[in-house]
Amino acid sequence: MVCVLFSRPNHDTQMSYLHYYSKELLELSKLKGYKTINKEEKNAKRSVIISIIKKQKPKFIFFNGHGSPNLICGQNNEIIISSKNPEILSESITYSLSCSSALNLGRMAVERGAISFIGYKFDFALGKDPEREAVPSKDKIARLFLEPSNLLVSSMLKGNSTLEALNKSKKMMKDNVLYLSTTDDFQDARYYAPYLYGNYLGLTLHGDKKALIQ
Amino acid sequence: MSEVIVRDVEKIKKEIVIERLRQAPPNIKISFGMSNGEFMERDELIKNVNEGTDIGKNIIEMHISYLQAFKTGLISGG
Repeated sequence: MVCVLFSRPNHDTQMSYLHYYSKELLELSKLKGYKTINKEEKNAKRSVIISIIKKQKPKFIFFNGHGSPNLICGQNNEIIISSKNPEILSESITYSLSCSSALNLGRMAVERGAISFIGYKFDFALGKDPEREAVPSKDKIARLFLEPSNLLVSSMLKGNSTLEALNKSKKMMKDNVLYLSTTDDFQDARYYAPYLYGNYLGLTLHGDKKALIQ
Repeated sequence: MSEVIVRDVEKIKKEIVIERLRQAPPNIKISFGMSNGEFMERDELIKNVNEGTDIGKNIIEMHISYLQAFKTGLISGG
Protein backbone atom coordinates (compact mmCIF):
# COMPACT_ATOMS: atom_id res chain seq x y z
CA MET A 1 0.00 0.00 0.00
CA VAL A 2 1.30 3.45 -0.89
CA CYS A 3 2.22 5.45 2.19
CA VAL A 4 1.52 9.14 2.71
CA LEU A 5 3.08 11.05 5.63
CA PHE A 6 1.81 14.28 7.15
CA SER A 7 3.93 16.38 9.53
CA ARG A 8 1.67 18.94 11.25
CA PRO A 9 3.18 21.03 14.04
CA ASN A 10 0.92 23.32 16.03
CA HIS A 11 2.79 25.69 18.31
CA ASP A 12 1.98 29.26 17.19
CA THR A 13 -0.85 31.15 15.52
CA GLN A 14 0.34 30.58 11.96
CA MET A 15 0.90 26.87 12.57
CA SER A 16 -2.55 26.56 14.15
CA TYR A 17 -4.07 27.72 10.86
CA LEU A 18 -1.97 25.33 8.78
CA HIS A 19 -2.79 22.52 11.21
CA TYR A 20 -6.52 23.20 11.00
CA TYR A 21 -6.68 23.48 7.20
CA SER A 22 -4.65 20.33 6.58
CA LYS A 23 -7.00 18.16 8.63
CA GLU A 24 -9.36 17.58 5.69
CA LEU A 25 -6.42 16.28 3.64
CA LEU A 26 -5.88 13.49 6.13
CA GLU A 27 -9.45 12.36 5.62
CA LEU A 28 -9.09 12.49 1.85
CA SER A 29 -5.85 10.50 1.99
CA LYS A 30 -7.54 7.76 4.00
CA LEU A 31 -10.57 7.82 1.71
CA LYS A 32 -8.33 7.32 -1.31
CA GLY A 33 -6.89 4.21 0.29
CA TYR A 34 -3.40 5.40 1.14
CA LYS A 35 -1.64 4.23 4.26
CA THR A 36 -1.92 7.61 5.97
CA ILE A 37 0.46 8.50 8.77
CA ASN A 38 -0.33 11.70 10.65
CA LYS A 39 2.30 13.08 13.00
CA GLU A 40 1.04 16.24 14.64
CA GLU A 41 1.97 18.62 17.44
CA LYS A 42 4.52 17.01 19.79
CA ASN A 43 4.91 14.06 17.41
CA ALA A 44 5.86 16.30 14.51
CA LYS A 45 9.46 16.10 15.62
CA ARG A 46 12.69 15.13 13.97
CA SER A 47 13.27 11.71 15.53
CA VAL A 48 9.74 10.53 14.76
CA ILE A 49 9.54 11.88 11.21
CA ILE A 50 12.98 10.67 10.18
CA SER A 51 12.29 7.21 11.60
CA ILE A 52 9.01 6.93 9.68
CA ILE A 53 10.61 8.06 6.44
CA LYS A 54 13.35 5.45 6.81
CA LYS A 55 11.02 2.60 7.77
CA GLN A 56 7.86 3.33 5.79
CA LYS A 57 9.38 5.06 2.74
CA PRO A 58 6.33 7.27 2.11
CA LYS A 59 5.72 8.08 -1.54
CA PHE A 60 4.30 11.48 -0.59
CA ILE A 61 5.37 13.67 2.33
CA PHE A 62 3.51 16.81 3.34
CA PHE A 63 5.28 19.17 5.70
CA ASN A 64 3.58 22.03 7.48
CA GLY A 65 6.13 24.09 9.35
CA HIS A 66 8.42 27.02 9.43
CA GLY A 67 11.29 26.97 7.02
CA SER A 68 14.10 28.80 5.34
CA PRO A 69 16.09 28.24 2.14
CA ASN A 70 17.91 25.35 3.82
CA LEU A 71 15.45 24.12 6.47
CA ILE A 72 12.08 22.52 7.15
CA CYS A 73 11.00 22.53 10.78
CA GLY A 74 8.54 20.68 12.96
CA GLN A 75 7.02 21.26 16.38
CA ASN A 76 8.62 24.17 18.25
CA ASN A 77 10.76 24.85 15.17
CA GLU A 78 12.91 21.77 15.63
CA ILE A 79 14.83 21.22 12.38
CA ILE A 80 13.65 18.07 10.58
CA ILE A 81 15.21 18.43 7.14
CA SER A 82 18.20 20.60 6.35
CA SER A 83 21.00 20.87 3.83
CA LYS A 84 22.76 18.21 5.94
CA ASN A 85 20.18 15.46 5.24
CA PRO A 86 18.23 16.20 2.01
CA GLU A 87 18.85 12.63 0.86
CA ILE A 88 16.25 11.52 3.43
CA LEU A 89 13.64 12.69 0.89
CA SER A 90 14.96 10.39 -1.85
CA GLU A 91 12.32 8.28 -3.61
CA SER A 92 9.61 10.60 -2.30
CA ILE A 93 7.47 13.42 -3.61
CA THR A 94 7.53 16.22 -1.04
CA TYR A 95 5.28 19.22 -0.63
CA SER A 96 6.58 21.70 1.91
CA LEU A 97 4.14 24.35 3.10
CA SER A 98 6.92 26.37 4.65
CA CYS A 99 8.91 29.45 3.82
CA SER A 100 11.64 29.45 1.19
CA SER A 101 12.52 25.75 1.35
CA ALA A 102 12.20 25.39 -2.43
CA LEU A 103 14.98 27.90 -2.91
CA ASN A 104 17.89 25.61 -1.96
CA LEU A 105 16.70 22.59 -0.03
CA GLY A 106 14.20 21.42 -2.63
CA ARG A 107 16.76 21.58 -5.40
CA MET A 108 19.31 19.77 -3.23
CA ALA A 109 16.80 17.05 -2.34
CA VAL A 110 16.12 16.36 -6.02
CA GLU A 111 19.84 16.29 -6.75
CA ARG A 112 20.16 13.65 -3.99
CA GLY A 113 17.39 11.41 -5.31
CA ALA A 114 14.03 12.91 -4.42
CA ILE A 115 11.43 12.33 -7.15
CA SER A 116 9.96 15.82 -6.86
CA PHE A 117 9.92 18.68 -4.40
CA ILE A 118 7.18 21.31 -4.38
CA GLY A 119 7.53 24.33 -2.13
CA TYR A 120 7.96 28.07 -1.96
CA LYS A 121 11.00 30.05 -3.07
CA PHE A 122 9.99 33.02 -0.91
CA ASP A 123 8.37 33.52 2.46
CA PHE A 124 4.90 31.97 2.56
CA ALA A 125 2.49 34.75 3.54
CA LEU A 126 -0.78 34.18 5.37
CA GLY A 127 -3.53 36.74 5.78
CA LYS A 128 -6.03 36.59 8.59
CA ASP A 129 -9.38 38.20 9.25
CA PRO A 130 -8.85 40.53 12.23
CA GLU A 131 -12.44 39.93 13.29
CA ARG A 132 -11.91 36.16 13.56
CA GLU A 133 -9.13 35.91 16.06
CA ALA A 134 -7.90 32.32 16.27
CA VAL A 135 -11.00 30.87 14.61
CA PRO A 136 -9.55 29.39 11.42
CA SER A 137 -12.81 27.75 10.39
CA LYS A 138 -14.58 31.11 10.05
CA ASP A 139 -11.68 33.07 8.62
CA LYS A 140 -12.62 34.03 5.07
CA ILE A 141 -9.25 35.62 4.35
CA ALA A 142 -7.08 32.76 5.59
CA ARG A 143 -9.20 30.39 3.49
CA LEU A 144 -8.26 32.27 0.32
CA PHE A 145 -4.58 31.82 1.19
CA LEU A 146 -4.74 28.17 2.25
CA GLU A 147 -7.28 26.56 -0.08
CA PRO A 148 -4.87 26.73 -3.06
CA SER A 149 -2.34 24.83 -0.97
CA ASN A 150 -4.96 22.24 -0.07
CA LEU A 151 -5.95 21.97 -3.74
CA LEU A 152 -2.37 21.09 -4.61
CA VAL A 153 -2.31 18.22 -2.11
CA SER A 154 -5.83 17.00 -2.87
CA SER A 155 -5.03 16.98 -6.59
CA MET A 156 -1.98 14.83 -5.92
CA LEU A 157 -4.01 12.47 -3.72
CA LYS A 158 -6.62 12.17 -6.49
CA GLY A 159 -4.05 11.06 -9.04
CA ASN A 160 -2.87 14.25 -10.71
CA SER A 161 0.79 14.67 -11.57
CA THR A 162 3.02 17.09 -9.71
CA LEU A 163 2.82 19.65 -12.53
CA GLU A 164 -0.96 19.31 -12.89
CA ALA A 165 -1.36 19.81 -9.14
CA LEU A 166 0.97 22.80 -9.17
CA ASN A 167 -0.88 24.42 -12.06
CA LYS A 168 -4.28 23.92 -10.40
CA SER A 169 -2.98 25.48 -7.21
CA LYS A 170 -1.45 28.44 -9.04
CA LYS A 171 -4.65 29.02 -10.99
CA MET A 172 -6.66 29.13 -7.76
CA MET A 173 -4.13 31.52 -6.24
CA LYS A 174 -4.42 33.82 -9.24
CA ASP A 175 -8.23 33.66 -9.15
CA ASN A 176 -8.15 34.45 -5.42
CA VAL A 177 -5.78 37.37 -5.99
CA LEU A 178 -8.18 38.78 -8.57
CA TYR A 179 -11.12 38.21 -6.22
CA LEU A 180 -9.37 39.96 -3.34
CA SER A 181 -8.42 42.83 -5.65
CA THR A 182 -11.92 43.47 -6.94
CA THR A 183 -14.54 42.15 -4.53
CA ASP A 184 -16.97 44.23 -2.55
CA ASP A 185 -18.00 41.16 -0.54
CA PHE A 186 -15.99 42.31 2.43
CA GLN A 187 -14.11 45.42 3.40
CA ASP A 188 -10.35 45.69 3.08
CA ALA A 189 -9.97 42.55 0.93
CA ARG A 190 -7.74 44.30 -1.58
CA TYR A 191 -5.06 45.02 0.99
CA TYR A 192 -4.34 41.29 1.29
CA ALA A 193 -3.94 40.63 -2.44
CA PRO A 194 -0.20 41.46 -2.85
CA TYR A 195 0.75 38.88 -0.22
CA LEU A 196 -1.18 36.08 -1.88
CA TYR A 197 0.39 37.11 -5.16
CA GLY A 198 3.77 36.61 -3.49
CA ASN A 199 2.79 33.01 -2.70
CA TYR A 200 1.76 32.54 -6.33
CA LEU A 201 5.16 33.72 -7.53
CA GLY A 202 7.00 31.60 -4.98
CA LEU A 203 5.31 28.24 -5.54
CA THR A 204 7.85 26.06 -7.34
CA LEU A 205 8.33 22.49 -8.52
CA HIS A 206 11.71 20.76 -8.67
CA GLY A 207 12.25 17.34 -10.19
CA ASP A 208 9.83 15.09 -12.05
CA LYS A 209 6.88 17.07 -13.43
CA LYS A 210 4.92 13.93 -14.28
CA ALA A 211 5.37 12.16 -10.93
CA LEU A 212 2.29 10.57 -9.37
CA ILE A 213 1.62 9.34 -5.84
CA GLN A 214 0.16 6.05 -7.07
CA MET B 1 21.90 51.15 -14.82
CA SER B 2 24.09 53.37 -12.68
CA GLU B 3 24.30 52.90 -8.93
CA VAL B 4 22.60 56.27 -8.36
CA ILE B 5 19.62 55.35 -10.55
CA VAL B 6 19.27 51.93 -8.88
CA ARG B 7 19.29 53.64 -5.47
CA ASP B 8 16.64 56.11 -6.62
CA VAL B 9 14.45 53.32 -8.03
CA GLU B 10 14.69 51.40 -4.75
CA LYS B 11 13.79 54.55 -2.82
CA ILE B 12 10.77 55.18 -5.04
CA LYS B 13 9.62 51.56 -4.68
CA LYS B 14 9.87 51.88 -0.90
CA GLU B 15 7.85 55.11 -0.90
CA ILE B 16 5.16 53.59 -3.12
CA VAL B 17 4.81 50.56 -0.85
CA ILE B 18 4.72 52.63 2.34
CA GLU B 19 2.00 54.81 0.85
CA ARG B 20 0.01 51.72 -0.13
CA LEU B 21 0.42 50.27 3.35
CA ARG B 22 -0.75 53.53 4.93
CA GLN B 23 -4.03 53.21 3.04
CA ALA B 24 -4.70 49.80 4.64
CA PRO B 25 -6.72 49.50 7.85
CA PRO B 26 -4.56 49.45 10.99
CA ASN B 27 -5.71 45.99 12.00
CA ILE B 28 -4.79 44.14 8.79
CA LYS B 29 -3.17 40.82 9.80
CA ILE B 30 -0.35 39.23 7.82
CA SER B 31 2.22 36.68 8.87
CA PHE B 32 5.40 35.58 7.20
CA GLY B 33 7.74 32.79 8.18
CA MET B 34 10.21 35.34 9.38
CA SER B 35 7.63 36.85 11.73
CA ASN B 36 7.97 33.84 14.06
CA GLY B 37 4.51 32.53 13.35
CA GLU B 38 2.73 35.61 14.66
CA PHE B 39 0.65 38.07 12.67
CA MET B 40 1.72 41.65 12.06
CA GLU B 41 -0.56 44.65 11.77
CA ARG B 42 -0.22 47.62 9.43
CA ASP B 43 2.15 49.72 11.51
CA GLU B 44 4.50 46.80 12.03
CA LEU B 45 4.53 46.13 8.28
CA ILE B 46 5.39 49.80 7.67
CA LYS B 47 8.10 49.70 10.34
CA ASN B 48 9.73 46.70 8.67
CA VAL B 49 9.69 48.43 5.27
CA ASN B 50 11.06 51.66 6.75
CA GLU B 51 13.86 49.85 8.55
CA GLY B 52 14.78 47.72 5.55
CA THR B 53 14.49 44.41 7.37
CA ASP B 54 14.29 41.12 5.44
CA ILE B 55 10.53 41.12 6.02
CA GLY B 56 10.37 44.71 4.77
CA LYS B 57 12.30 43.83 1.60
CA ASN B 58 9.93 40.91 1.09
CA ILE B 59 6.89 43.20 1.47
CA ILE B 60 8.29 45.63 -1.11
CA GLU B 61 8.96 42.79 -3.55
CA MET B 62 5.41 41.43 -3.15
CA HIS B 63 3.72 44.80 -3.64
CA ILE B 64 5.82 45.84 -6.64
CA SER B 65 5.43 42.43 -8.32
CA TYR B 66 1.69 42.66 -7.74
CA LEU B 67 1.46 46.12 -9.32
CA GLN B 68 3.55 44.98 -12.29
CA ALA B 69 1.29 41.94 -12.71
CA PHE B 70 -1.73 44.18 -13.08
CA LYS B 71 0.12 46.32 -15.59
CA THR B 72 0.99 43.29 -17.73
CA GLY B 73 -2.51 41.81 -17.43
CA LEU B 74 -1.22 38.69 -15.70
CA ILE B 75 -3.72 38.88 -12.87
CA SER B 76 -6.66 40.12 -14.88
CA GLY B 77 -6.08 37.24 -17.28
CA GLY B 78 -5.43 39.57 -20.19
